[in-house]
Order: sequence, then C-alpha cells, then structure tokens
Amino acid sequence: MPFNARFTIRPITLAAAVLLASLSLDGTALAQEASPAAPFQKVSALVPLPDFVPGLGILYVDPGTLPAGPFLAYGRDGRLVSTVYMLPLATFERHEGWAGLSAAKAAVDHVDVVYNAGHPGVAEPHYHVILWHVSREAAAALAR
Amino acid sequence: MTPVRLDRRRFLEVGALSLAGLRVLPSLRRAGEEVVVRLRADPAGSRVWFEPRGVAILPGTRIRWELEAGVHTSTAYHPDNARAPWRIPATATPWDSGYLLEPGRSFSVTLTVPGVYDYYCAPHEAAGMVGRIVVGEPGAPPYFPAARPEWRPLPQAAAHGFPEVATIVRHRAIR
Ligand SMILES: [Cu+2]
Repeated sequence: MPFNARFTIRPITLAAAVLLASLSLDGTALAQEASPAAPFQKVSALVPLPDFVPGLGILYVDPGTLPAGPFLAYGRDGRLVSTVYMLPLATFERHEGWAGLSAAKAAVDHVDVVYNAGHPGVAEPHYHVILWHVSREAAAALAR
Repeated sequence: MTPVRLDRRRFLEVGALSLAGLRVLPSLRRAGEEVVVRLRADPAGSRVWFEPRGVAILPGTRIRWELEAGVHTSTAYHPDNARAPWRIPATATPWDSGYLLEPGRSFSVTLTVPGVYDYYCAPHEAAGMVGRIVVGEPGAPPYFPAARPEWRPLPQAAAHGFPEVATIVRHRAIR
C-alpha cells in the first residue's frame, strides 16, 4: 500500500493528527518486554480475535482503557512494535476527544492513521492511530 | 448456535406449495443445493462485506457462509440474537454463527420457510455489513413486525445496506 494511501482525505485524519501532537509519550511506563505486566492482558484472551492480528501483531490492552487503549503490539519475536489507539468515529462526530493517553516509552519511527470498520472488542467504525516503534519495513513485515 | 434443522415434513409441504401455487423461477438453484456467501475484508479492515449480499434461493437450499478474511459472524435479525429487531419470517428459526476467526471456516443453515431473511455481522453491523436472503418467491411484503422498545434499533448504515427484494429476485445474486 502506498504510504499516502493511509491518509484519507477525511477531516477526521486532521483531527487525529492534532490529537497526536498533543499526546505525551512520557505517560505510564509501559513495558517493552514480550508481554506487558498487569493490568495489560492479551487481547485474544479478552475477545474473539486471532493471537496475531495481521498488520498489527500480538495485541495487549488494559481492559479499563477500552476502546481507546493504548494497545501495545508485539511482533512474533516478542519485540514491541507499536502503540495503538482505537478511536471511534462516533466520538469524533460528537466533537469529543481524548487527553492523557499513555504510550510505551519507546521512540516513534512513524505514524499510521488507518480506518477500521470494526472488530470484536471495538465493534464500531473507528480509526487506528498507530505509533510505530519500528521502521516502515519492519511494520510492513507484520502484514502476514 | 445450532444450525436450522431441516424439518422434512415442512420441507415437503413447502416444496408442494411452491410447485402448486407459486411460479417457480427456472433459473433459481434447485432445492437441496448449496449457495456460498463469502465473508470478506480488505487487508486494513477498512472495508467489510458479504458477497453476495443479496441472494434468492428455493426453499430447502443450504446457505454456507465462508470466512475469507477478517473476523465476522452471520447472525439473523431476531430478538434472540442480542435483542436485534425481527427481520426473518415469523416461523423461521434464527441462527448465529458465532465468530469465524480462521479463513476457510464456515457455517451453514438450510432455509425452508419462504420469505425474506435479513442478517448481519456482529462486529460490523454499525459499518453496514448486512445481507438479505429471499427464499422462494415472496408474494407479500416481508414479515417484519413493528419495532418494540425491548429490541435495539437498526443502525443507520445497516438499514441502508439491504438490496431491494425485487432486485434480488430479478438478479438472483447481488454483489
Ligand atoms: Cu463482518
């Protein structure tokens, strides 16, 4: 997928970008080990989703932070790959936002903002805002 | 989660009825055959859909939903399924596939009661992932009782997702 294709012309994207700019990366310390400590739980143990979600990796979340997250995504090798926020369209449409979302203490290489029609756990149209802690190449390798 | 049982007696009655009273569309698949509906998604999960989303069949035809990509369900619009509004024939048995997670997984029902059946995908209903099956040749408008307060409302995107019954009957399958 060409990089530009990820950024649709929806005004939502702009809102998400503004939101991102205001996010602090010094939030709660979030582990970079193969699996984060409680209250984080494997998403596939909470809702019917595969262990490894193509394009994202193995997801963990503190259920108390649903639906926004952060979700922490790990590769098959146990390496932290991204911090993901799942932001429902309905919240944007109500002109509401999010503040003080936590993030993994890891450098951000690049960001994707991807529309998702819904899935178990966040069963409504939403955007995935993905702070990638790995290169574009490594992120692309998670597609399968 | 139990698939609709093929009630042999009712199946035979319906068969006799359709031969005697209804004009049977020659191009419809014969009763006892199987029709496959694929549950699809693009790689990002941005677009999700049933293919075909509208299909016309004869009573006694088996419908099989097969997962191609993503995580989906096939769930009949019926109050037994999470207080959904009632959008299948009055005497038909509702179904719910549960989540289909692995590509290639499938779920089947055999529909014997003539009429219009609307169904949805549980995680994607709000995104408008719905489908419609027309069994037999409906002579009357679909039996959909008026909304009741104890049933949840139909999401807007879902309400706009159903192909017209007449269009489905004319084309047999709507993509
Ligand atoms: Cu679906």
